[in-house]
Amino acid sequence: MPALVVPNRSKPLNIPILESRVPKPEDLVVLSKPLLEATIKIGNLLNDCSAKWALGGDIGEILNGVNVQPDHITILTNAEGCPEIGKKLAEFQVETSRLVERQIRRNAEIGPKPLPVKIRSYESRFNFDGQRLDVHGDLRIKVGEWEWGDPLDFEPEYVYVVGVKVPVVPLKLKTELYLGLGWMDRVRKINEATARRHHKIG
Amino acid sequence: MSTVIQEPSVDVVCLGVGFMSGVVATELALAGKKVVGITKGPYWDYVNDYSTTKYDEWGVGLGRKYDHPLPLQSTTIRNNSSQFALPVRRYTMPIQYHALGHGVGGAAQHYGGGMGRQGPWGYQMESLTASAYGSGFLSSINPQDDTHDWPLTYAQYEPYYVAWEEAHAICGNYNGSPTNSPSDMNYPWMSTNYRLPPHPLTPLGQLFQSTVQGMTAPNGQPYHPFPTVSALASQPYTNQYGVTVNPCVYEGYCGGLCDYACETGAKSNAAYRTIPAAIKSGNFTLVTNAYIFRLELSPSGDQVIAANYYDAHGNIHRQPGTVFFNGMWGYNMIRLMLLSGLGTPYIYNSGLGTGTGTVGRGLTNGYTPYRGTNVTGTVNIGGNSYPAGNGSGGGMAVYDLMDDNFIHSNISPPFIGGGLVSAGGYLGSGPGNITFAGGVSGPSSANPNGSMGSAFKATQQNKYLPTKQTVGATPFAPDLPTLMNYCDLDPHYTDAYGDPVSRLTYDWTPNTYNGAAYLVNQIKTILDQMGATNVTVGSTVAPYSAHNDWWGHHLRGGLRIGTDPNAGTPTAWAALSGYNQLYLTPTTGVNYFAAGEITNTTGNNATAGTHVAGPQSYRAAEGIKLYLQHVASQGINYLAS
Repeated sequence: MPALVVPNRSKPLNIPILESRVPKPEDLVVLSKPLLEATIKIGNLLNDCSAKWALGGDIGEILNGVNVQPDHITILTNAEGCPEIGKKLAEFQVETSRLVERQIRRNAEIGPKPLPVKIRSYESRFNFDGQRLDVHGDLRIKVGEWEWGDPLDFEPEYVYVVGVKVPVVPLKLKTELYLGLGWMDRVRKINEATARRHHKIG
Repeated sequence: MSTVIQEPSVDVVCLGVGFMSGVVATELALAGKKVVGITKGPYWDYVNDYSTTKYDEWGVGLGRKYDHPLPLQSTTIRNNSSQFALPVRRYTMPIQYHALGHGVGGAAQHYGGGMGRQGPWGYQMESLTASAYGSGFLSSINPQDDTHDWPLTYAQYEPYYVAWEEAHAICGNYNGSPTNSPSDMNYPWMSTNYRLPPHPLTPLGQLFQSTVQGMTAPNGQPYHPFPTVSALASQPYTNQYGVTVNPCVYEGYCGGLCDYACETGAKSNAAYRTIPAAIKSGNFTLVTNAYIFRLELSPSGDQVIAANYYDAHGNIHRQPGTVFFNGMWGYNMIRLMLLSGLGTPYIYNSGLGTGTGTVGRGLTNGYTPYRGTNVTGTVNIGGNSYPAGNGSGGGMAVYDLMDDNFIHSNISPPFIGGGLVSAGGYLGSGPGNITFAGGVSGPSSANPNGSMGSAFKATQQNKYLPTKQTVGATPFAPDLPTLMNYCDLDPHYTDAYGDPVSRLTYDWTPNTYNGAAYLVNQIKTILDQMGATNVTVGSTVAPYSAHNDWWGHHLRGGLRIGTDPNAGTPTAWAALSGYNQLYLTPTTGVNYFAAGEITNTTGNNATAGTHVAGPQSYRAAEGIKLYLQHVASQGINYLAS
């Protein structure tokens, strides 16, 4: 059957036009493929890990819908978790566990002047096809000249990454940490994610 | 003087941006190809468009603010070729026409989320039926039967199923092991389980499960209950494209009157599963509020070279490309092909009872027959049975009354296939739960409280917190393709731009009714065992033959992919014969018939056809990649001058 004639002139209609809010790329929460693949691999390898562990840092947040762009993977665990994780991920290990104390790049913003933030943990490092994994055991935080805090403890929440169930540090704990450090931009990002998730406030 | 706006040529043009185009656009954009997606509606932002505005029952239920605008384009409907087809002029029930969708995500913005794979039998129904019951069995059910096998087997489709389920966060059987391999025989043909665990069971789902576990199915084997399959994420999820997904929050306000709009993005559709990755890639351009009206063919007529569309202001755009993927709603796709002179139109000869051509052939239905045979009863749950939550999940189902899982040879009247029987789904899931029967309407003699206002709300209070629930089913066996049901261009009615609308010629077929007569008694037995009281079986009615303008939302088929070049597209790549650039995947069943639409009988699984179409989109994406590779290696320039 021949096609109907193709018109070549515009024809305005009197039909309401719905507003279309096409998101910008920066508005979308999408984890990069290399980190995604590394996360799946780690989740599978630590599937039967008996020690408490969870994905922390930006990777833990983006998997909960927070609009951040992680450049590596972070695992938080306790002192017992470090050797067990090291054993399970041995073939990917590039730095063995040792007690490390260092100042992080961003200061606390809770007073009239910025305060340096230090962390201390049993730290080991791994490499998954070029993707960095940092493991922190018994992570403590120190702000300015204050006392060192207790080792970070938490009850993990779980997310599913292409079907692999992985623990993540709860957003509620991250919010408390950021509030304590005065990082309100990070608090706002978590708030945006929890608002999108509606009742499921982290 | 022409006012056509020329757009730059791209590698792939996706027509419509629903489930299927979402996959193709994303797969190709991530492969580095330039892709344009064109859709007639807006991008729906679930935070701003749904989260704060869907409680506007008047605007949603009566104003139909989320729905396809009928003044732009409607369709006409009739029961047989001797009738005059009448147009759908208004929305007359809550879910009517939702399935057509409008904008990014398409029909999936307004569905309940019921899903489930089609098993091996559904792909080879014709040959397996002939093998089991003789070659004349299907024609003994309906002399005008037009059923054919799919071009590929289930085993060939399964990898695409897995990819589609990973992308869309499908929930169901999940055993939590690293391999997530099937842990039982509920899905004996699945090599992997679904990627997310099922939703929590409702009390009715638990009762159904415990009841059927102690019963024997017609095949002499125990029933095998399994969690209903749902496209609403049960847990926080990240898919293979890195797109993060919010879980369902079980708020219980996403049923019919809310247009099934999901305000957390938990319900799967392209806008929140695949398209974000395409946009993020930088290779994808999304064109919204754009109404495609013609595909332009090459002078030789064997290639598609451009898509023509009106923008929101009525300006005409011409979008050239190398490959065109049609992911429109099923009969909109057929209409565009007929308007464009693409393919061979199906012509039905009512005098001879024969048909020729392919485009429009074999319209089928995946929805409950109107006034069909039914069974109802009252079940005492013994407590709060409020099924808060979404439109799918929370229930249990059995596969044992489906496909050829029981012997059909001695059943009279004859039929083939069966139904996926389930119970206990959440709000919005259909029979067995709370529904907005009657839709949005004022008081009438039949419904003195109407369905809004304080009197209506008073009646609903007891419905939401019952200790007893009325459960029921209107079962039916699969609606097989017949020569009499088809889609063509209406000779009388046009859209807002003056082009003919689609005309649907459809009536339910013997297999649906014959199957209902058998299935209803099987379900009655289950209800009796569940302790239901007042169990009543309705009588079978003859095929319904009157204008019924709400059919449209689950009519499907109309374009076969198959192995018979005289009746379908002969390639297993889902490309239309002679038009290698046009990759077809109707949004509700790429198959010519509705074997995948073996709709369940005590829950809502009418959208499972989408689950069956989904793998086709991955198949098409794979084919398009190969095609583009071929074009590059041959140095062929198919682009419009």
